Amino acid sequence: MSSDIRTKEPYPPGDFAIWIVIYIELVTFGLMFIGYAFSRRSDVAVFNASQLLLNQTSGFIDTLILITSSYFIVKALNAVKDAKGDAVQRANLLASKWLLAAIAFGVMFLVNKLLEFSDIFGQGIDLSTNTFFMFYLLLTMFHFMHVTLGTIILFNIRRRTRSTNGYSAEDTRGIETGAVYWHLVDLLWIVLFPLIYIIR
Amino acid sequence: MIKKYEIVWIVLLVFTIFAYLLGKLHLISSVLVGVLLITTFIKGQLVIDYFMGMKNVSLKYRLIPTFWLTLVLSLVATAYYL
Repeated sequence: MSSDIRTKEPYPPGDFAIWIVIYIELVTFGLMFIGYAFSRRSDVAVFNASQLLLNQTSGFIDTLILITSSYFIVKALNAVKDAKGDAVQRANLLASKWLLAAIAFGVMFLVNKLLEFSDIFGQGIDLSTNTFFMFYLLLTMFHFMHVTLGTIILFNIRRRTRSTNGYSAEDTRGIETGAVYWHLVDLLWIVLFPLIYIIR
Repeated sequence: MIKKYEIVWIVLLVFTIFAYLLGKLHLISSVLVGVLLITTFIKGQLVIDYFMGMKNVSLKYRLIPTFWLTLVLSLVATAYYL
């Protein structure tokens, strides 16, 4: 019962600097999403025909991968959040396993996306093909770069969980910072998937 | 005991499968685009509140990503329905 009665945290989790990055990313992707939606109005037939060339199953698998990896990171963070004293080492070991699973899913996303890009380029499609593919390639490649960076961040966070100086209840800032960045990548894809792959 | 993060994850999976089936089975229509955008909003808000941990953060910070999500999806809907 008492756990339900909490005061709100004054600041979001993680380093404040990462939130500046997150706000910039939200604005950047937001403008591109809105740009896509309004550009589509001027040439609905071309957008609909081009969308049929995308692999929806690949986009679906990407979404499942990112959602699940986000869940793994929540589990990793929760493992160390309340760890004190003797429990710290065990908590970091558990967190490192969840992080390894998240990293593996991040790599799976990147491999799946590379296969998708290879298929698209194999069809002779590039940025100049039409407005739909310009947006598709810009958005998905820009997002791909974020997943790559996110995976590198997770790798570094995991390295610390394996060291003698792991995370604990008093020191979760680093893992929280990496976690919110990864969730941002997930949030952006949650909007991107229906917008580009499904809505027609 | 069913834990909240597991429930959130399952809801996200279910809504994703729903979106995929709409596209794959060519069921998408004007009405279902609206439903799809609403489920996308719910998915985004679940990630913001539970995965990013904004549910227990001061409202002024919590509302920033929520405002972004609302604005983007509203403008996408406007572009689609106008």
